[in-house]
Parts: sequence; structure tokens; C-alpha cells
Amino acid sequence: MFDVSELVQPDQGLINPSIYTDPEIYQAELERVFARSWLFLAHDTQLPKPGSFVQTYMAEDPVLVVRQRDGSVKAFLNQCRHRGMRICRADEGVARAFTCTYHGWGYNLAGELVNVPMQDRAYHDDIDKAKWGPTRVPRLHNHKGFIFGTWDESAPSFEDYLGDMVWYFDALADRYDAGLTLVPGATKWVIDCNWKFAAEQFASDMYHVPSSHASALVALIEDPAILAEFQAQSAAAPGRQYAGNGHGSGFALRPDLVPTQAGPDFDAWVVANREQIYRRIGEQRALAVNGHNTVFPNFSWLTINNTMRVWHPRGPGQIEVWSWTYLPKDADERAKQAVRTSTIRTFSAAGVFETDDGENWTEIQQVLRGHQARKTTFNARMGLGHERHGTDGMPGGVTDDMYTEMAARGMYRRWADLMSGLSWPEITDRDEARQQGEQEAHRA
Amino acid sequence: MSNFAAPPPQRRTDVDLATRYDIERFLYLEAELLDDQKFEDWLELFDDDIHYWLPTRTTRTVRERDLEIAGPDGAAFIDDDKAFLAGRVRRLASGRSWSEEPPSRTRRLITNIRPIRLESGEFEVRVNFHVLRSRAERHHDTFFGERTDLLRRIPQEPGFHIARRRIVLDTTTLLAPSISIFL
Repeated sequence: MFDVSELVQPDQGLINPSIYTDPEIYQAELERVFARSWLFLAHDTQLPKPGSFVQTYMAEDPVLVVRQRDGSVKAFLNQCRHRGMRICRADEGVARAFTCTYHGWGYNLAGELVNVPMQDRAYHDDIDKAKWGPTRVPRLHNHKGFIFGTWDESAPSFEDYLGDMVWYFDALADRYDAGLTLVPGATKWVIDCNWKFAAEQFASDMYHVPSSHASALVALIEDPAILAEFQAQSAAAPGRQYAGNGHGSGFALRPDLVPTQAGPDFDAWVVANREQIYRRIGEQRALAVNGHNTVFPNFSWLTINNTMRVWHPRGPGQIEVWSWTYLPKDADERAKQAVRTSTIRTFSAAGVFETDDGENWTEIQQVLRGHQARKTTFNARMGLGHERHGTDGMPGGVTDDMYTEMAARGMYRRWADLMSGLSWPEITDRDEARQQGEQEAHRA
Repeated sequence: MSNFAAPPPQRRTDVDLATRYDIERFLYLEAELLDDQKFEDWLELFDDDIHYWLPTRTTRTVRERDLEIAGPDGAAFIDDDKAFLAGRVRRLASGRSWSEEPPSRTRRLITNIRPIRLESGEFEVRVNFHVLRSRAERHHDTFFGERTDLLRRIPQEPGFHIARRRIVLDTTTLLAPSISIFL
């Protein structure tokens, strides 16, 4: 067994890298982190009509998310109770029912077992079909079109789970009157790295951008003079980072909503809808919250780049990235195409930013094959002791620079609490006590 | 909108052997430029209105098979015009494109070349491809699928410009950390 207090020491900013490699720790994560947390399942627009379904994963568990005839959504394990075969083997589509192809057990859209072949002869009519449906995801929550689920009946409500992160999430989810839609189709690829590298970077790491993505702007900006000016402005921009409940958000403070990375066709739409955006989420939030974000454990997005993704764990050393481009639902076609191509070019598996992230994470994972490498303590101390909380009226634990690892430490704190087997009330009490301590330290 | 959205119906005829030879020679030249990492020369092979497109695909039931490959408004790995292709080449030359610095070794196998002459005088060419990418110490990726190009005759060497390219991988989930090379 492992001792969690020796694996991460968030208050000291210390990480034992075996948390990225140890198979035993990974198996414990599936049980203690992923099976207890709220996980992103699907966006409303992926399920346009009754019978629409997507197959996603809650960590390694395949889950069917299905639009019901009454418009509601249900989710259940994609696993037949007879011998464990998948009930549905398409990624998405529209179905009237699901039939296991092994022995033909049939399920309705709600995931109820409704047909057992040869029920009379084979089972002598002695099977209670109500008891033999696939395992239901017991709790679902739709937050402004984003559907989350958890296996844990004792987990806090989704609102309490998010805490102050909702203010940062809504800079994405609540930005437009007509809401968001996704470009049809997920882009899926595999990176040989632990899921925490990706989740942590999107929670906390603006620091990697100048070096990791040194070449991306070269692709986007042809004129070296404009490129140099842009880099100088970016380096000088003030920023903020939020950390709380394991979640994280970080961003530069911008003087205006435009220019966006998607270019003039989208800028024109944003300018025409500026007042709408300010009315919905406020000018300060609209301008500020434009950066990297992770809802613990594995749902991330980049507000200004219109990309969101889930880092599905696949063993200690591998993830599947599932990414989507999101758009304002009522934007005109030109604006939508501008966003779509811009996001593909920057943050798909062939995107000029994205490819270099995978390179880093893969290399780290390779290095951690080494015995010495795996016991060499990692430094997550950036900004430790220099947090300045309570800036600008932004809710939660906010520090006055985006170049800090406060949110990374917060993420590992939540990870450690869950991995220690603490109950949800114990975790919630600890978090509240910490937040009070931070506020008192700030006042002092 | 994509140039692939509504291909106009055209009379399609077979090509003569000499034209087939020219097309094959052109495609092998392109593969050689990429494998030799002569990206600036490679960029010259494209027309100014090139649409370079690699849509995603999903696993679907037989009944919904025609929805398998993402449409022009759907998700894609690559959806480039000439300016962005040039940006990618500029990036590779920067020496700081870490997924290609140090650079990958690639080996392209272009096969099953099926050229058709369109009424417009252009050529639609479907090929099967298998691209191997070897990277750093022991990293290895393999990409395979089908490419459909629209080629236009030009008077000078190497005889054609590529005006459209659609690449369809046979995989749904890409079993590689990135597509940092050209397919």
C-alpha cells in the first residue's frame, strides 16, 4: 500500500512522481477519485432528439448517455448484465433500443432490460427483468447544457462540488443568450502520459506557454515585427489565477474582447454582441476569464480558443483526449466557420499549439520509467507563500498573477483528500477550514 | 464553406497511360519532398486556393454508415488554406516546433493510385497511403487511409498543382500523440 501523505505535500508544493506511474495508485484513483467525482458526460447539443445517444467514458467505464422521449437524459453503463458485453458498439447515433449482440438481451432507451430471448424456455420465465438492467449512473446534473454525472450517491451537489469555480465556468457556459453548440464530432487521440499532467496544466499552467508554444505564433503570424510586438504584450499582460475545490482557472486581463484568435469574421460577431455578453456575465468577467480551466478531475477548456476536452485515463501512462470545438449557437455561418477552423488549427491533434503539449507529457512519462527519476521530488512551489488573495472582487481563492502553481497545489490537495479515503463531509469541512484560513491570512 | 460541400457532377473518363505515368511520378515526387523534409519546395506543389482537409470519423452502425466521416461543418484534424499551410512550414523551419524538433523520420507508401479525368480537364486521384513516423529514441506512429486529390495540369515542371486534398484515416481514435507531419 502507499501512504498518500508521502506522495504529495500540497502545502509544501512537493510531488513524488510515482503518482504518475504506479499501477496500484492508478487502480486506487479509478475507485477513489473518478468513481466519486462529478465527470463531464456530454453537451445537450450532442443529443438533439429522442433516441440520440453518445457512448462516452467515466474514467475506464463505457457509459451510454441517451436522450429520452420526454426530453430528459439518462446514462448507464454500456455493459450487459448477462456476460458483460457492450450493449452498444457505435460511438453515437440515434436508436430505438439497444440489443446486446452476444445473446440478444434487449434494452429500451432508459436502459431497462425489456427483452430476454427464449425467456420461457431458457429461463423458465423466472427472471426479474427489472433487476437485471445495466448499472445506472445514479446522479446526473445539467449545468447550462453541460451534462455531468457521478456514481457517488454521497457526493456533494454539483453546485457545491463546483463551488466558486461556477463563476469561472459560466464565463464559458453562460456567455450568450442562445447558449452554445458543439461542432459535430469529437476529435480523439492517444497520448502516452498520465492524466494528471494534462489536467494540471489546464488547471494551473500559463508558465509553459512561452517556451512550449514558442513556434505556434510563428505559424499564426507571418510578419516578424507584429509577432514580436504580440509576444511583448503577452509577456507584460497582468493576470490572475483561481484555485478551489481542486478546480483551477488562469487568465490574462485583457483590455478588449477583440481581437480573438478566430479572426475578423468572428470578431465582427463578438463586437455586435458585446452588450449581450456584458449583460450576461459582466464586463469584468467577460474581459478577464479567457484562459485555461480544469474542473476536477478531468474536464478542461480554453475559453478564448473555443476548445473543451476530457482527459480519459487509460492506465497510469496513457490518456485518450476527446476534444470538441464550441460555438455561440446563434452566430452567423461565417463566424462559426472562423471559430471552427481556428480551433482545429490551434488545438486539435494537428494543432500548432496542441502537438507540442503531447511531446512534453510523453517525454516526462518516458523519463519516469527510471527508478531514480521516479523517486526524484518534483517542484510545484511556484508562487508558494506569495499568494495575494481577494483581488478585484473575483470569487474564491484568487491570486494576483497567472504565473503561479496555486491551482496545481489545489488540485493535488483534492486528489490527496480523495485518495486518503476521506468521506465527502470530511473533505468539505477541510476545504472550508482552509478557505477560512486563507481569508484570515489575507485580512491580517 | 468547404470546397468538398457540393462537388458538381462531371463526366468522368479514364486516363491514358502517359497521363497515368505523369500523375504517379508527381505523387512520388511529393512523397519524396516530404520524406526529405523539403517543406518549402513541397508548398510550391499547391494551388493558391488549396483546401487541405482531414475530417474526423466515428464508428457508426451500418444504417448510419454514411454519417461516419465528418462533413464540411464538422470536426477535423486539419482544415487548412494555403496561408495556414505556409504557416505550418514556417513553424517547422523555426527550430522551436518541439513535436518536430528534433525532426521525425517519415516514410510514405503511396499505392493503389486511381486517376480519373474530369470534364473540367482536372484530375481526381484517389490513393491509399501508409505513412510511418519514427521519432526520437523509439517513438513510432503509423498513419494509414485514403487520400483524394484534385490535380490541375500546369505547363512547367512538375506538371501539376494540387487544388484540393481530402485525407480520410481508417482510424477513429488516432493512436498517436499528434499529427505534426503532413499526410
